[in-house]
Amino acid sequence: MTETAVHPSIQPAHGTPKPPPTGWRRLLAPGWLRAPWMTALFFAIGTGIVVGIRSLAGYDPVWDWVVIVTVAGLTAAPIGFLAGLGAFDYWTKYALGAPTEPEDHSSHGAYSWRDYFRVNTDHKVIGIQYVVTTVFFFLAGGLLAMIFRAELAKPGMQFLDSQTYNGTISVHASLMIFLFVIPAFAGLANYVLPLMIGAPDMAFPRLNALSYWLLPIAGFMMLGSFFWPGGAFGAGWTGYAPLSVVGTDGNVFFNMGVQWAGASSIMTALNFLVTIITMRAPGMTFWRMPLLVWANFSTSLLVVLATPFIAGSQFFVLFDRVMHTNFFNFDEGGYVLGYQHIFWFYSHPAVYIMMLPGFGIASEVISVMSRKPIFGYRLMALSLIAILILGFSVWAHHMFVSGMAPWLRVPMMITTLLIAVPTGIKVFSWLATTWEGRIHLNTPMLWALGFVSMFVIGGLSGIFLGAVPIDIHASDTYFIVAHIHYVLLGGSLFTIFAGFYYWFPKMTGRMYNERLGKIHFWGTFLAFNATFFPMHIIGLQGMPRRVSDYDPQFGNWNLVISISSFVLGASFLIFIYNMIVSWRRGPLAPDNPWRANTIEWQVSSPPPVFNFDQIPQVVGGPYEYGVPGARHAVFNGGEEHAVKPATESERPEH
Amino acid sequence: MRVVAIGLLVGAITAAVAVLIPWLPDQASEEADWIDFVFWFTTVICIMIFALVAAVTLYSVFKFRVRPDDDSDGPPIHGHTGLEIVWTAVPAILVTAIAVVSSVALAHNESIPDDHLTVQVTARQFVWSFKYPQYGGIESGILYLPKGRTAELRLNALDVIHSFWVPEFRQKQDAVPGMETHVAVTPTKTGRYPLVCTELCGLGHALMRTKSIVLEEAAFEKWARDRQGPSAAGSGG
Repeated sequence: MTETAVHPSIQPAHGTPKPPPTGWRRLLAPGWLRAPWMTALFFAIGTGIVVGIRSLAGYDPVWDWVVIVTVAGLTAAPIGFLAGLGAFDYWTKYALGAPTEPEDHSSHGAYSWRDYFRVNTDHKVIGIQYVVTTVFFFLAGGLLAMIFRAELAKPGMQFLDSQTYNGTISVHASLMIFLFVIPAFAGLANYVLPLMIGAPDMAFPRLNALSYWLLPIAGFMMLGSFFWPGGAFGAGWTGYAPLSVVGTDGNVFFNMGVQWAGASSIMTALNFLVTIITMRAPGMTFWRMPLLVWANFSTSLLVVLATPFIAGSQFFVLFDRVMHTNFFNFDEGGYVLGYQHIFWFYSHPAVYIMMLPGFGIASEVISVMSRKPIFGYRLMALSLIAILILGFSVWAHHMFVSGMAPWLRVPMMITTLLIAVPTGIKVFSWLATTWEGRIHLNTPMLWALGFVSMFVIGGLSGIFLGAVPIDIHASDTYFIVAHIHYVLLGGSLFTIFAGFYYWFPKMTGRMYNERLGKIHFWGTFLAFNATFFPMHIIGLQGMPRRVSDYDPQFGNWNLVISISSFVLGASFLIFIYNMIVSWRRGPLAPDNPWRANTIEWQVSSPPPVFNFDQIPQVVGGPYEYGVPGARHAVFNGGEEHAVKPATESERPEH
Repeated sequence: MRVVAIGLLVGAITAAVAVLIPWLPDQASEEADWIDFVFWFTTVICIMIFALVAAVTLYSVFKFRVRPDDDSDGPPIHGHTGLEIVWTAVPAILVTAIAVVSSVALAHNESIPDDHLTVQVTARQFVWSFKYPQYGGIESGILYLPKGRTAELRLNALDVIHSFWVPEFRQKQDAVPGMETHVAVTPTKTGRYPLVCTELCGLGHALMRTKSIVLEEAAFEKWARDRQGPSAAGSGG
């Protein structure tokens, strides 16, 4: 990555940074010199606690490495790392009653590449930190997929053993879900959401910085499990007990990695909720919020309510392993299906956590690129809320063959199928938005329309799986693999790319290469379908998922799938090349290349450090394209012509 | 609108072609008959919907596309209450229909007649074992079933979760440690069918495969008698 262009007028507004410390004192200053020794110190303290307690209690062996890695390696050391980096400095001083340093905004904004590698409180820097980190883990997860697709290219075992195979599929899915899709949306929203609602930053900038730094910890934890003796966690990303309890010790890396990623999600979601509720610009009523803001509002509610459940489920598994509790030990009264109920009570809403922000991005892009107001704005917002509510009442559709109470199946089928209604409203409204528009078929629009069509396939295969009798046949087969990839790759990933390309000019101040963007889209789109569509067929024909070897009758299709998946993997190299080269040398972007109405496009590209010189005044809806004289927001107190000035009563409290 | 009609027409043709393609493996049980009916019912509806969406998307892109330097805006249409009611109501009706058909099929597939054959299925890493309590408790590593008689499988696992699946029967059920689960199969066709574990159960998951062999009623009785034989019931298969 490279430096973003610094706008000359946006030096820090208040105070000047303290002079940097010199000599050995540099080891005490927050940053990359303090982080390593504090990590080691906290690891040592954690080890000391474990070994001390075990020797005092007379447990044998005293040096139990699974317990030590859990307490010292996966819990204490990351806290030490964060403390060394400086994530807790302000709060620690405050809690100890020491005088807190007056905020000089020295931790705000980025003036060199180094500013991306420290605890930075600027939501725009954090947004870019998020996006770059998630792309890194996307590539890592993608490489794992290339490895096991090579293994699956023909029947029989080629070059992976079963443990490595189970590890690669599990880490692939965990990285893609917890380190790519969820945080990539959080990162994009981190960058654009405060700008969109006319706020100078997020409500809690220090919490925002912390929530980012939890993320690489979770990611390297999951990748690091490959290096633990016995191999990576291999019970799938769903980590069903009792396999995750009795399987390799690498499972503790998953149990704890999910805690760090989950904590990150929860903090970000709280931040979004408070920001959206309290920091909207004057005139920005709920019914004037862009749909991306609505989408992140719904998503954040889901995250805050649901994520504690996966934290609980993983703690239970961890405790069963390291503390010999019996949550899922059936010989001692444990309840095996309890894991699935708790896990899916998070992980079904998580499907919407991974999709609703994408709906928001698609709404922005489709409306702007069609040069038309979004069709049925209020119903679009309300259908997000309907999905949010219904999303909590469908978890057991993942358990139709699990042996749970049989009566639960039909009610859960009905709620599941009902989700098709608000989802259908959204799809039809996007199509109606394009109707009679002036469609600019550029890269973001291609991804957005590609999303609509691919997501419909994923949604329709979801109807198959929601219908209990079909699910009984298709459950745990490649049909499921096809379904989740149409939803999460054709759905979430396509909208993430739509968002990356759409806001790239705003985030970097430069334009990406349109031609490469289109080649990237078509390469991904075709290879994606060639990879995942045949999986529907082999799944229905009888190939189970998560197998390292399979019946030879599926050999031809698997070869086709593997070859297509390599093309799919290669298509992302075009994206990486385009992003790096355009960020360094792309033509300078205008402030508003898409002629969009939303507020983030009314400031410079990239925006000033504190976002706005004047707080914008919101005077109308966000998508009034084609309405003569309509404005969404005005600056300078609305000296320019405004359609409808906001009344005093519409202004939110600050 | 003409594009909607074209979309539905293309959908109807595609659905007609799709129904002729053997997406599913052979049917070898009564339950499969019901499940396949639900499958095709849903397939036809879903293909129609996808064709409609694809037709409108493609039509919009080709018809309303402008050059990059076009600065004009589209007509400011904010919504249409009638249309919104239609595309709320129609999917609601369609999914209700799918739910009703599914519930009927499920109720049928769950009913077990009194004269059923009971098979105790035990799953452990990475072996299936089938026990026939009505035939002196004989055990087998292959699931033998008589044609035309409903078998109630009572599943249990000894270590981790496994899942029983015979694609030709369409029936699948997890075997869960610490509890007993049930599934019914009524074979309609003699033959040998693959029986696989579909729940990731550890290192040997991919190889946790065996067969189900469906015999004529008389042949099944003979197999069971032979297996019980003089050499003590309960010896492994």
